[in-house]
Amino acid sequence: MKTRITQLLGIEYPIIQGGMAWVAEHNLAAAVSNAGGLGLIGAASAPPEIVREEIRKCRELTDKPFGVNVMLLNPNAEEVAKVVIEEGVKVVTTGAGSPAKFMDAWKEAGVKVIPVVASVAMAKMMERAGADAVVAEGMESGGHIGSITTMALLPQVVDAVSIPVIGAGGIGDSRGFAAAYMLGAEAVQVGTRFVVASESIVHENYKDKLVKSSDIDSEVTGMSTGHPVRSIRNKMTREYLRLEKEGADFMELEQLTLGSLRKAVIDGDVVNGTVMAGQIAGLIKKKESCKEIVEDIVLNGEKLLKNGGRF
Amino acid sequence: MLERVIEIIEEKLGLDDVTITKETSFKDDLGVDSLDLFELVMGLEEEFNVEIPSEELEKLTTVGAVVEYLESKK
Repeated sequence: MKTRITQLLGIEYPIIQGGMAWVAEHNLAAAVSNAGGLGLIGAASAPPEIVREEIRKCRELTDKPFGVNVMLLNPNAEEVAKVVIEEGVKVVTTGAGSPAKFMDAWKEAGVKVIPVVASVAMAKMMERAGADAVVAEGMESGGHIGSITTMALLPQVVDAVSIPVIGAGGIGDSRGFAAAYMLGAEAVQVGTRFVVASESIVHENYKDKLVKSSDIDSEVTGMSTGHPVRSIRNKMTREYLRLEKEGADFMELEQLTLGSLRKAVIDGDVVNGTVMAGQIAGLIKKKESCKEIVEDIVLNGEKLLKNGGRF
Repeated sequence: MLERVIEIIEEKLGLDDVTITKETSFKDDLGVDSLDLFELVMGLEEEFNVEIPSEELEKLTTVGAVVEYLESKK
């Protein structure tokens, strides 16, 4: 399936893997790129030299295009932005703010810039700032979320901008892919389903937790701080929500979540750690390779579109 | 100018029961998040026919700062 996004990024299938903190490292990114999608390395709060290393290791595993997700709230964002250019990465997605101040340098280096947006106004501003495309991400997604659902956000963003739009949030299979396409998306970004991929280095406890979870297991914490986060409910989210209800201050809440994602992803502590995942986690029933995931989503999605929504 | 700016803030953020002055802080007094801010900027740009670059946004923390910025661009 060819869209403006496959052309822009030089990829076979219109599917991007989310730039998830701790999860989106070189093994996963390379596997998704080798499967014909676009793999992303999530720079999150990693030091710039680690990001450089990840990029180099990824390149050893694939000769296909891959990208880096730059988290703009990271105090090191400026250095990470430079590393991306120095290492010749050609695609950047950005989260948590506006990448306007890095736009000129990236454009000059031929980097395609794709900000993640959660509203129409933000999408319009990014288009004006020179973005090549946007990811419109609904609040069904895991991790840091906005407040509008994918179903409502996607068509409104598509109408508001002329650059291509990538749909994200709640998309985990071919039906989600086809639906996003009908809403005007020219590619999808998938996160949660790739977490359980066989190439993903995420701890087996975390993968098992996702596979076992049901539709109602996802919970949003941090509404009161203005930085809501979606994860699978556990002791950690219950404790957080209890503190939040009691009116705990920001610092106390921060203390609770400090290093908690690493604890779950790397150490496998899914009781006290943060098990970030989207609402679609309940749909994911098995661990597969990235190739199987990409082809299931895209090829079956195309079939659905051809058959008017029926298999 | 100030009155019109306040009207736009009220309209864009759905605030109809809050007193807004020059000193009002978007974050501390109105609880504005980043999505609200983008919404507000789009509204102000349309009304005053100016472009507010997103790197300027960080500096515009109060209603008064916005008015000053818009006046400097007239």
